[in-house]
Amino acid sequence: MTEHEQYEAVVVGCGPGGAAAAATLARSGIETLVLERGAEPGSKNVSGGLIYAEESAPYTIDDLFPDFREQATERPATKNYIHNISGEQVATFDISQLHHHDTEWADAVLRREMDSWVGERVHEMTRETGGGLLTDVRVTGLLRDQGEIVGVEMAELDPIEADIVVAADGVNSELARDAGLMDWEEPEEWFQGVKAVVDMPPEVINERFDIDDDEGVAHLFSGDLFEGVRGGGFLYTNEASLSIGTVFHLDSIAAERAEPHELLDSLLTHPLMTQWLGDEYEEREYSAKLVPDSKKVAHESPHRDRLVLVGDAAGQMQAQGPIIKGMNHAVTAGALAAEAYTTAKSRGTPHDAGRRYEQKLNEEGVMDKLRPTSYDIVGKLGETDSIASLTDTIAESALGRFGVRTLGEGVLERLFSSPRLMAMMPDTRTPYVTIPKIIAEELGEPVTDENTVEPPELDDRIGDLTYDVGDPHIELIDNSFKASGTAVTACPVSAKDFGGGCYRDEHVQTNGSEDHVVSLDTQPCVECGTCAVVADTHWEHPDGGKGVEYKDG
Amino acid sequence: MPEIDPTEYEIAALGPKITDIDDPEEIEAMLALERDGEDRVPVKTLLEDRLEKLTAEDEAVDPSEVDLSELTVADVANLVRDVDDADVLRDMLEREKDGQDRKTARSQIESRIESIEGSEDEDGEIEEVEHVPPEEKHPDLDHPTDEKQWVEGTVEGTYRDMWVYCETQQGELIDVSREMLGKARELMDDYNADPAGDRGVADDDSSGHYGGDEEGNPEAVVAVLIGDSVGDLTEEVLAYGADRVVYHEDDRLDRFRHKPYTEIFCGMCRDGDYDWRDYHEPRYTLFPATNNGRDLSALVQGELDSGLASDCSGLYIESAMISNPAKTGQAGDKREFERILHMKRPDFSGFEYSTILCIDKPNRDFHPQGGSVIPGSFEIPEAEPEPEGEVVEHEMDLEESWFHVDVTDYDQLDEGVDLTGHDVIVAMGRGIGDSPTEGIELGLDLVDAFEDADLGLSRGVITSSYSFDSHVEQYIGEDRQIGESGQVVEPDIYIAAGISGAIQHKVGMDESDTIISINTNTDADIRDFSDYFIQGDLFEVLPRLTEAVESGELPTALQEVSDD
Ligand SMILES: Cc1cc2nc3c(=O)[nH]c(=O)nc-3n(C[C@H](O)[C@H](O)[C@H](O)COP(=O)(O)OP(=O)(O)OC[C@H]3O[C@@H](n4cnc5c(N)ncnc54)[C@H](O)[C@@H]3O)c2cc1C
Ligand SMILES: Cc1cc2nc3c(=O)[nH]c(=O)nc-3n(C[C@H](O)[C@H](O)[C@H](O)COP(=O)(O)OP(=O)(O)OC[C@H]3O[C@@H](n4cnc5c(N)ncnc54)[C@H](O)[C@@H]3O)c2cc1C
Ligand code: SF4
Repeated sequence: MTEHEQYEAVVVGCGPGGAAAAATLARSGIETLVLERGAEPGSKNVSGGLIYAEESAPYTIDDLFPDFREQATERPATKNYIHNISGEQVATFDISQLHHHDTEWADAVLRREMDSWVGERVHEMTRETGGGLLTDVRVTGLLRDQGEIVGVEMAELDPIEADIVVAADGVNSELARDAGLMDWEEPEEWFQGVKAVVDMPPEVINERFDIDDDEGVAHLFSGDLFEGVRGGGFLYTNEASLSIGTVFHLDSIAAERAEPHELLDSLLTHPLMTQWLGDEYEEREYSAKLVPDSKKVAHESPHRDRLVLVGDAAGQMQAQGPIIKGMNHAVTAGALAAEAYTTAKSRGTPHDAGRRYEQKLNEEGVMDKLRPTSYDIVGKLGETDSIASLTDTIAESALGRFGVRTLGEGVLERLFSSPRLMAMMPDTRTPYVTIPKIIAEELGEPVTDENTVEPPELDDRIGDLTYDVGDPHIELIDNSFKASGTAVTACPVSAKDFGGGCYRDEHVQTNGSEDHVVSLDTQPCVECGTCAVVADTHWEHPDGGKGVEYKDG
Repeated sequence: MPEIDPTEYEIAALGPKITDIDDPEEIEAMLALERDGEDRVPVKTLLEDRLEKLTAEDEAVDPSEVDLSELTVADVANLVRDVDDADVLRDMLEREKDGQDRKTARSQIESRIESIEGSEDEDGEIEEVEHVPPEEKHPDLDHPTDEKQWVEGTVEGTYRDMWVYCETQQGELIDVSREMLGKARELMDDYNADPAGDRGVADDDSSGHYGGDEEGNPEAVVAVLIGDSVGDLTEEVLAYGADRVVYHEDDRLDRFRHKPYTEIFCGMCRDGDYDWRDYHEPRYTLFPATNNGRDLSALVQGELDSGLASDCSGLYIESAMISNPAKTGQAGDKREFERILHMKRPDFSGFEYSTILCIDKPNRDFHPQGGSVIPGSFEIPEAEPEPEGEVVEHEMDLEESWFHVDVTDYDQLDEGVDLTGHDVIVAMGRGIGDSPTEGIELGLDLVDAFEDADLGLSRGVITSSYSFDSHVEQYIGEDRQIGESGQVVEPDIYIAAGISGAIQHKVGMDESDTIISINTNTDADIRDFSDYFIQGDLFEVLPRLTEAVESGELPTALQEVSDD
């Protein structure tokens, strides 16, 4: 197997994780090739997006890319609130304290702009080492020699061998799955994030949010806004737009047969939003992506042979209560993986980088944040069914309500601001729906502004996206409604009674009997990954440059 | 401080300004300002490019003076490329010899001198390129030309005519065969025309005009048909431009098989004993660049010991000036080759073209000059109503062993459906979901009621899991999809039944003259761009429409039922 093209390091994916790995490798003079399936870095990526620089983190993105904040971000989050909602009752807390805990800075970003700027730097840096950044290339799987991972295979190029393969290919990592390190089995291990970018001139933003040009706001939302589906919402201010989105537990979306776009719409049309959205609603882009829940899926040993996983590919996405931290951990992990390789190489054992990377993740405290021990003990327990409904009942009972009232606003605000408490929260209805709802009912004030926002219909949202349609990239293995019907509702671009989505449910007569089945058209697909988990599919990304192209992300 | 502060400009405004600045220092100062200020990558690149250009101009060296020891061999190579004066080069050579005397640098200069002057040996005589037969050149090989009895054999052979392989499918000529015949006719008509000079006209544009072969006799377009009942097609082939058609029929040739097809083709054009075929091999051959045509072209050209330009999209015959010593036989010499078929083919997915020439060597002929032609590259010519020409049935024993590969099964690929150019399109959408087969049947009934109509589909139907009965199933495929990722049609009447009117469908049909839509839902988007909107169940409305069309009452019926 010597006839393959060789690079010292191959990095798959040029999101924050891959960029950090590549930049750190290039700094050490290691010949690094970066492969990105998008036509440009960022064209495939979605986040909420507040990117954090944690004080305790060994690497932050502006360490690796000087001028990052000036060049690639929108506005810093200078004010932070959480709104607990029950019907029209809303109780608002200032959670700046929780936000500022361990935070050096946090800026809102749009991924197309951020990743493409970072990508340019990555290309410059890696080119110096004899490598570079190649876009429009999709890695299809791992190259193996006698069972051992030695490189990657691509749809567009011949296989490439490398001493280290950094899989930074995101939440739907095909490499992590090829290596058997991750799967797409359990809905409860994932969130689904859906977002709308809303056009708004800077002066209007400044006025409606009462901020200056160099300030920004982060609003978080929880409660019964979403009809019992577990999750919450966010609103972040960009320079000339707002990012408004929802992040829900996938198992809850699946079980409730919830329509993700309707959940987003219920946030957009809540009276509370009127003050910010006004009368003219201009949606620039609708997007969606799976989000890993590190508490459950962060791989404790994210490597095999020459392969290391970083960022979402390794499940390193931390939901700290309402705060979502994925990009920052991807950056840290990417840089640590690169560091691990550099050390391993200097010791003459380049293929031993994985073990060192794992060690660094633990030593640097990254693993502790991703999989807090307190959650393992308290949180998981709270999730077993009987206990979950018990806590729910207690919270709902007069006793629980009394507690909320006597604790009062001050205490609750402090509790919400406790990072430890947030890390311990079990993933049941109680913290997501019941408690915020009760808080709103007991402490909230009614918001009665009339909301006139009319979010676009799903077909218009699809129509506004840009696609370069290639061959179908998802194969439906079992098309019975029983096996795959959940995707009709859970897919963010499909809906019950909507013929224009990816998944449509159909009744088909065959030989006198009627079958309830689903059909699939991947053209409107936004590549979120949801149906890889909730339906019986063979799921791949589209080939390089094909599929959806986000302008904002 | 430079005159222009780049940070005050948008990149678009900056570009034109910068081209006027000739002072590298000025640019450097601007670069520094940009770095400290906005630090925009495109602006920096712009400035750096300009700087590079200016410094390069400054550095432009004079080859007759330059100190060669300061240049790398690569620099020397670049430098000599622009020098056309052999004396200057010889002077450089001397200086290199006196200086570092690098072998590689010397050979760069020497080879440049050679390519300007042609290499001469001591006596000033032109050096012949030595010919070594392949057996001697490659003694390690068993016998490089073992089975190729014609290799080396054909030098200065006689070649005439343009042979065109006409592929058939299901007993009919395929379009590319007609396209090639038309092109061949055009090429050979020009070829046989007298050069402009001979006609007493002062015209440089006589390229491709040779007044026939070397003796002044016209050359022909010879069509080849091979198959099981291709005799029926000879007339048609003549009508599209052939002077002569040679065909071979045999039941065993019902499907393309490369061994017998190759043998037959070569049998016709190399061995065929016809009084008109007084030459060694064809001068030119054309094949279609289809799956079968590519296969056959490679084998035939190999068997005839020539080359092949595959997948061509342009053809012309012209003389060519060639200086390649392998072809001219003499280094440094230019020679004009006449009657060269220029074969243009797209490279890199059509971003670039190369033109392939197939030219004889001094000790080996490369004839026929042949290529395969991408379908659709040329127009289909008008068929001659009463063609004249000779039909020749080729006789030859087909060896049993040529058929030992059996075709046991085959699939017919859809050629695709062209929905453009009809008066009427009836398009069906997911509204047929309750009874898909019936829905398509009703659509087809309506299609039949019109004189010139066809059936289109929304993508929603094509990607559904509906089960269709076999008699309508053949209509369900992407080749009938209308819209962004399907076909774009503009018929006089577009009837959309059970189609919601998604934007991706709309772009494929909204230029139609009259749009009639049938939908149960009055809020369906399609209503916004329909001329007539019929609210109703397509299973009820379509039969009534069909009836109205058949009785010639469509316009009145529409007025009655339409909502819009
Ligand atoms: C709605 C939503 C809100 C979020 N909010 C926040 C937030 O506020 N703050 C935060 O920190 N995080 C947030 N996240 C999470 C965050 O976006 C991710 O954790 C982060 O992007 C992970 O970075 P990464 O580099 O691991 O992967 P990605 O950013 O997903 O990058 C992966 C890259 O790999 C490429 N790729 C994938 N497969 C292949 C292949 N086979 N071949 C070649 N290239 C490939 C992709 O095109 C992509 O460029 C949010 C996520 C969502 C969906
Ligand atoms: C990138 C991309 C490219 C695409 N390209 C194309 C393309 O080229 N062509 C294309 O067509 N689509 C294309 N689509 C798909 C397109 O978005 C729609 O999904 C599709 O056109 C919907 O098909 P439909 O109208 O048949 O189905 P639906 O949208 O489900 O509409 C069915 C309609 O039938 C009506 N109806 C139901 N029952 C009846 C009845 N009994 N009688 C009468 N009416 C009834 C309903 O009210 C509804 O309006 C593309 C999508 C994407 C994302
Ligand atoms: S088809 Fe699957 S991957 Fe594509 S958008 Fe729908 S759920 Fe997401």
